[in-house]
Amino acid sequence: MLAILTLVFSTLLRAGIDNFSVFLLPALLAWRFFSIGTSMSLASILGNAPLVTKVYFPRWLLVLSSNLANLIGSSLEFAVLLPLLVFLGMAPTLLTLLLPVIIILELILIVGISFLLSSLNVYYRDINQIWDIALQAGFFLTPIIYSSSLIPERYLPLYSLNPMMRIVESLRKALYYNILPTIEDLSIPLLIGLLFCLVGYRVFSKLEPRFAEVI
Amino acid sequence: MNPIIQAEDVWKKYKIPHERRTTLFEHVGGILEVLGGRQVTYEEFWALKEIDFSVEPGESIGIIGDNGSGKSTLLKIIAMILRPTRGRVRVYGKVAPILELGVGFHPDLTVEENILVYGSIMGLKNSEVKKRMEPILKFSGVERFRDAKLKNLSSGMQMRLGFSVAIETNPDVFLIDEALTVGDIDFQQKCIDKFKQFKAEKKTIILVSHALGLVEDFCEKTVLLSKGEMAGFGPTAYVVDQYQGLARGS
Repeated sequence: MLAILTLVFSTLLRAGIDNFSVFLLPALLAWRFFSIGTSMSLASILGNAPLVTKVYFPRWLLVLSSNLANLIGSSLEFAVLLPLLVFLGMAPTLLTLLLPVIIILELILIVGISFLLSSLNVYYRDINQIWDIALQAGFFLTPIIYSSSLIPERYLPLYSLNPMMRIVESLRKALYYNILPTIEDLSIPLLIGLLFCLVGYRVFSKLEPRFAEVI
Repeated sequence: MNPIIQAEDVWKKYKIPHERRTTLFEHVGGILEVLGGRQVTYEEFWALKEIDFSVEPGESIGIIGDNGSGKSTLLKIIAMILRPTRGRVRVYGKVAPILELGVGFHPDLTVEENILVYGSIMGLKNSEVKKRMEPILKFSGVERFRDAKLKNLSSGMQMRLGFSVAIETNPDVFLIDEALTVGDIDFQQKCIDKFKQFKAEKKTIILVSHALGLVEDFCEKTVLLSKGEMAGFGPTAYVVDQYQGLARGS
């Protein structure tokens, strides 16, 4: 995926961005973390139907375990990114230390959304398809393959409501532009993430008692 | 003595909608229709009505009744998998539900790894399962294949393995749903011996079965369910007679 996108954008389209792979890679990995994480845990309750209907245990463990599995996978991907940054002389800097912080911010957001999606998916089976499409839209509404400076000024407030946009921007600032992300860049995704956790967990605990019946 | 299981006025209702909506898309359409004045209809189905009984420690209870009379629903409520609509069940002790054997078995893991997984699903810590690894393997009779992948075992062997893990979890209460029918005669005998040992240790077994002979052998008392209602509760021999009478009468 990285190879294809790098080829298309740096060579074929001549987007004119230096070190396009470093521009793209952190954003792409963050997006993979988000999209794989949410779609994996979306199916975590329904996919474990035999367990849910035969044994009692706290159901949120299923959501948590799929998120942990995804965290491990993504951490490995990010670990591959670091030698590349060092090789290109863009790391280590103090700002590189922000990487784990941003990953944790993103994890909070993902866990919140996971609670919501996984419990709703038991009742509404088409959440899966709807979320697939939402993710595809999200890929283009987040500055992954382009720079957020391309977005017209008047759409910017709306555009920056997307918490993933803030996360990708923070990563890119820290690792590519080598500047400090603003307070809003970090606090807005955190607030949205915590909000999702709160709402998601409430919905989840409300729906949980009937999982075994409806599944 | 305090009861180990207490069911107080347990009711369970299932809703059977006349029109089933399982997608968000259908639901949005449905909400619009309801706003437009259409009635949402569903039938209520009471799977359990007014179930009231208690079990003393060391007692074993059979649950018998026709298909669809609510036996499994009752068992699942005791196992906390389902929640009663009204009333409650209290269980004082550790429960091992054997509603289906080998829940969570993974075909690509080895026998030993599967024992660890299934053990933790049944509520044991990893270290506890490791301590019991040898007895589990010995009881299941698949010691030779401990490093083989589970998928290479015959289905009977897999069931035996599941049963062995469940038995070694050493719970206070066993919930068994027709699980004894697995394995060959030899293994069935081993299970029956094991259960006799549990009874000697004053553990509780709750057995859902159509094998009335088995129920008579193991359970002092029996619950007879008929269309979700408790048609009888008392000494097994009496309740089994009652059930056979009902069956003949209908």
